[in-house]
Amino acid sequence: MDRVYLIRDVLDDQLIDRKKRPLGKVDGVIIVLRKEKPPRVAYLETGLSTVAHRLSPRLGRFAEKIGRKWGMRRGKPFRIPWAKVRKSGIDVEVDLDLDETPVMDWEKWLNRHIIGRIPWAG
Amino acid sequence: MKKVLEITLGIVTSIGGFLDVGAIATAVQAGAAFKFQLIWVVALGTICVIFLVEMSGRLAAVSKHTLVDALRERFGVNFYLIPFLAELVVDFLVLAAEIGGVCLALQLVTGVSFRWWALPVAFVLWLLLWRGTFTIIENGTSFFGLITLCFVVAVFVLHPPWKEVATGLLPSLPAHNQAHYWFIAVAILGALISPYLFYFYSSGAIEDKWDKSDLVVNRGVATLGMSFGSFVSIGVLVVAALVLFPRGIQVDNYEQAAMILTEPFGYWGFILFAASLGIACFGAALEVSLDQAYVVAQALGWNWGENQHPKEDARFSMTYTFFIFTSSLLMLIGIDPLTLTIFSMALTAVILPLVILPFLILMNDEHYVGEHRNGIIGNSVVIIITILTFVMAIVAIPLEIFGGS
Repeated sequence: MDRVYLIRDVLDDQLIDRKKRPLGKVDGVIIVLRKEKPPRVAYLETGLSTVAHRLSPRLGRFAEKIGRKWGMRRGKPFRIPWAKVRKSGIDVEVDLDLDETPVMDWEKWLNRHIIGRIPWAG
Repeated sequence: MKKVLEITLGIVTSIGGFLDVGAIATAVQAGAAFKFQLIWVVALGTICVIFLVEMSGRLAAVSKHTLVDALRERFGVNFYLIPFLAELVVDFLVLAAEIGGVCLALQLVTGVSFRWWALPVAFVLWLLLWRGTFTIIENGTSFFGLITLCFVVAVFVLHPPWKEVATGLLPSLPAHNQAHYWFIAVAILGALISPYLFYFYSSGAIEDKWDKSDLVVNRGVATLGMSFGSFVSIGVLVVAALVLFPRGIQVDNYEQAAMILTEPFGYWGFILFAASLGIACFGAALEVSLDQAYVVAQALGWNWGENQHPKEDARFSMTYTFFIFTSSLLMLIGIDPLTLTIFSMALTAVILPLVILPFLILMNDEHYVGEHRNGIIGNSVVIIITILTFVMAIVAIPLEIFGGS
């Protein structure tokens, strides 16, 4: 991969899976600080609680609390190892299959409990 | 030949889809209160909207990203949150006003209060989105919207003083009630330069899979479609000026507005007004509902698309379902549709710089539009009109609310 500017070229960009399907936005970038070694980009995160933390720590704690109570993943954001990341134009492509990730949990829940029960939903 | 056909279809849909509750209400009020004096504001707004619509299409065709996608990606969530929330609030109010427009049209025809129509109208709206495709929604409503051309026909039937109408293209101040004059000017600009239009247009370009070969069609449709569409708006203003202004009628409800077509067309004028109001508002309500879902889905990176079945994009479908029914509640509880319309249009003018200035930065960013960046004319025109609209809005709205002249 060529040189990538994390804030300009990765953070907040569209995540797409290997079949170019939308997987969410890059809501956070996790960098690991190591002793006497340069920091290392470890994961990308996608999830509302990560967005909330970026907006304000208080809002982040509130989102986590709500997530623990009602969230599909107990409010935990989905983490994508940096090794799976490929930059694709403006988007961030990851070497994953959307169906095998938990980011569609809400979509599936809505389908099962509400949308799928309404006539002509497809 | 194919391109000519595409441009022609685009122009026809732009004319048919140009009017909405805001454009009708502001044009009627402008004509009734200030005769032809506010025509220049419609022309100014149209020039700005031509540039902005062309830009939204160009952004989508070249970058394959919608305006919402690009705004969040380029400016980050901490900045984007502000225009995002502002757009959701304004769209919510505008959707309520559009639903109100349809309900009032039904009230005019049946005599049954608009409040009773709120939920049935919301249901039909939802059903069309649930079952329809993007093309049906875009072209179908615009085709029926051609009925609004009756306002242009009415102008010719009424034989206006053409020289005086043309003079309205030059800015001039009224001798009295200047605060109201500026407030209506702001509302006209808010109705014409609606951010929902650009979000919707760029999302539509992605739904229709536009690429660089569509840039010519985009430019033709934006320029000619919006120009011809604005004639319908000017038509409403001129007819109101000819019918209501001489009688000193200041429009404070839609029953008065409905009178403007009875002079040129008799009883059928009343029916034509109700049909125009109902169809124009219904078409706009479809677009605003979809726009709400586009904005939320694109900001959060969900799968979206009106061409998919609801089951394929459940969160997207759930979003428009939620907004349609909650917006209709504002009408159900009896909020006055005309007041809501005028204030949502004025509020739109306030939030314009929040959306449009970052949009301009995107349109000058090679990363997104490569060699298809904006020229100096496009940048200057949009910056000047946006800032002018914003300054007018922050001065005129408090004056209108708290009084003054």
